[in-house]
Amino acid sequence: MSYKKKSTRIEKPGRKREKWTDILPRYLTFLTHMRPILRETRRIIIDLDADLLLDPEILDKIREEEEKRNIRKVRALSEFSAMYRSNIYEIIKDFLVKYRDRIPVIDIKDYIIEFLFESIDALNVLRHITNPDEQNLEKTYLYALVKFIEEKLLPRGRNINVIYKKLLDASQNVYECQRHILQPHTYYREKLEDSDSFEIPGISPKVYQIINNITSLLNLDPNFGNFPERENHEIPMILKADIFNPYIDSIANAEENAVGQISERIGLRIIDEIFLAPRENLVEIMLENNFVRTTTQSDGTIRLLPQLSNETLILYYLSFASQRRGFLTKELINWISMNFAFLMYMGILKWKLSDQNIFYPIFKDLQTNEKILPYLMKLICFPNYLGIDKMKIRDSPQYRKEIFNFIGSQIDNLKDFINEIAMFCEKFDKERKNN
Amino acid sequence: MENFKDSTWKELLQDFQKGIDRAIEELENRDVENIPGAKEALIQRLKNMRLHFPKNNGEIFLKSINDKIQNAFFPNTKDFTEAFEKIIKSRTHEQDFIINELLNGFVTSKAKAIASGTQGPIIDRMVEAFSRRNDFHIVDYQFFAMFGDPNKPRHRVKNQLEELAKMFGLVSKELIVEKDVRRSEEKVYTFYTFPDGIIKILEEKYLIIDEELGYAYVSEAFDRNVFICMFLANVAINRDNINKIGGSYTLNGISAIFALILLLSFLPKLSIDETSPILNDPNYDPESMSVIPKSWMMKQVLDPLFEPLIKIIAYRLGGGLWLSHIIDSDINKRIHNQVRFLIKDVNKWILGQLVRVEIPIFVEISNIFTEIVVGYEDEQL
Repeated sequence: MSYKKKSTRIEKPGRKREKWTDILPRYLTFLTHMRPILRETRRIIIDLDADLLLDPEILDKIREEEEKRNIRKVRALSEFSAMYRSNIYEIIKDFLVKYRDRIPVIDIKDYIIEFLFESIDALNVLRHITNPDEQNLEKTYLYALVKFIEEKLLPRGRNINVIYKKLLDASQNVYECQRHILQPHTYYREKLEDSDSFEIPGISPKVYQIINNITSLLNLDPNFGNFPERENHEIPMILKADIFNPYIDSIANAEENAVGQISERIGLRIIDEIFLAPRENLVEIMLENNFVRTTTQSDGTIRLLPQLSNETLILYYLSFASQRRGFLTKELINWISMNFAFLMYMGILKWKLSDQNIFYPIFKDLQTNEKILPYLMKLICFPNYLGIDKMKIRDSPQYRKEIFNFIGSQIDNLKDFINEIAMFCEKFDKERKNN
Repeated sequence: MENFKDSTWKELLQDFQKGIDRAIEELENRDVENIPGAKEALIQRLKNMRLHFPKNNGEIFLKSINDKIQNAFFPNTKDFTEAFEKIIKSRTHEQDFIINELLNGFVTSKAKAIASGTQGPIIDRMVEAFSRRNDFHIVDYQFFAMFGDPNKPRHRVKNQLEELAKMFGLVSKELIVEKDVRRSEEKVYTFYTFPDGIIKILEEKYLIIDEELGYAYVSEAFDRNVFICMFLANVAINRDNINKIGGSYTLNGISAIFALILLLSFLPKLSIDETSPILNDPNYDPESMSVIPKSWMMKQVLDPLFEPLIKIIAYRLGGGLWLSHIIDSDINKRIHNQVRFLIKDVNKWILGQLVRVEIPIFVEISNIFTEIVVGYEDEQL
């Protein structure tokens, strides 16, 4: 007979719902190991006679000594610390070798200390991005930054019209980022049509092409038919077949079968089984934003003539996804939260590190990214922040590699937005200090 | 002068004239423009094209295709390095869009589809792998470690990497280690890098060689388009070997995209009323954009213009061999039809107006037309 008390709760197999207090410490784990290494290195460099820096072997010896002091018991952590320390020393050594003939060694030492100081400062912000009990939420970097980015890329609002307006206002500067967060690189894992749920997937390259075809066809030569909800009004319509006509060898079969769901996401509907036409709420949005103009026909009917821009339907998709953020697919949630985490991380680095900082590559290294960003992604998903389902964030290291790939192919507009975020960080920090 | 005797070329020019006649006819019957004078401006431009294009053995075509389009995208040479140099040197932000669209055109291609499906992410991975080393090489094992899936067989990634390396013309070197530290077995590492000639070109902008440290690492400008330029260079130098470049789909796709660039360059700019809402749209920049008539995008107008133009391009790029593959089949018509939706980031829809972004290639081609037309007018005076 066992004396072990049995739980009366039946636990379902599968993953447990992780709490804030589970994830925050994990986010901090690697950061709390990175900062002391940089601080130790700074202390060593400060204490070292500048002339000794000229001998690379001295640095190697110091590193060896430092490694001996390693008392971490968790293998992953001690491996990471060793890798991190050796990267720092290698970078310092290369910097010395490169500039020792051009710059006085005392200045080189000052530069290294300055770069280390900046890096420690950046890690300090990352470490204090929020607090365990989320006190004074509005004054935390995590909250302020998520809200700043959210307002431009995935805003909230009481209805879709309000969300659309916010997105359209921001689109002038960040349209490519808005479009980017809708297009997961892992689109090939998505199902276009899911009859059992209302899940919203991202936009695959082919769906993007189809949305563009629809925009072009609506602008060029639309047909007109009765507006079901309003008497005496005519709305533009295009033939469903015209959109798919160019595709050969059934390559757009999946999209053609899912056209009903795709069109719902861009505010369209199928009429008489052969036409695509805007829904009532898209018509309202188009009227508000000049994407449609009205003319009165000789028989008195009011005809709505489309004058769409490239972003008209894409921003509707984004508004729709933002409004129904509880129903996003796993791929889209991973992609959106990764982009938010990446933008915040890079924004903080841009704010704290000067462009010539020699330690930038360590922060941008895939190995560092994968230690910090996955947990930041989860923190961002909590209800106070983006409010999307963090249970859908994948923990597989392989998957992380797959989605972090995009860092190698950043778009220019993301870089501009990162600069904007860095400026916001500085402003927010000043306000925080003044209060 | 040889071209004067070329009956095929003469026929193609005549077909283009006939196409313009049909397009003008269609335009006169329909009106989808809402800018006063837009339709008339397009008809006038088409009439001018009809009059001036065939002159002097199709001089405008010869100059636009041979000097501009080929130089920028599809150099007429057998030398890989020279072709790559021309393509990469003509790179601009906007031209990258065209190149990317060009490759999207291959989505319809049955054969060597690049930058679609699973190969697109692999190119990004190659960029990432080159960025992470300081000797401008990638090693197969490093690549598997970075991007391989432990649950899937390694040969999957290996085959993809090998296939892409071949397609881009990367060179490989093998390093045989007699006893591997882990298993004490022989192990073969394959290093991939760019050919020497290409490395020299990349040194100017994309590759930083640090002689003091003995490092070679990539600059921020090194991106997926470097690989894509290599792919284009590879197709350009192998244009005579149709099977090697992916068959008739590839050449139909390439010819259709270039035809579209050519046509876009010749379209008239419209003057817009001061009260037009497009002028207040934040996405419209009058310095770098111009509104063009949208009627030309109508199927009825585009089809008669496009078909002979694609043949003209194919003939100029690949002679009779390419022309024989531009067959008026249903599939080819669909490829051509799809292309009209392709150049979407270079052309924009703004409040229902078609807007051309004035990128260098459009401006240069359009200048050829203007110079030649003005030249004729001067002669007549």
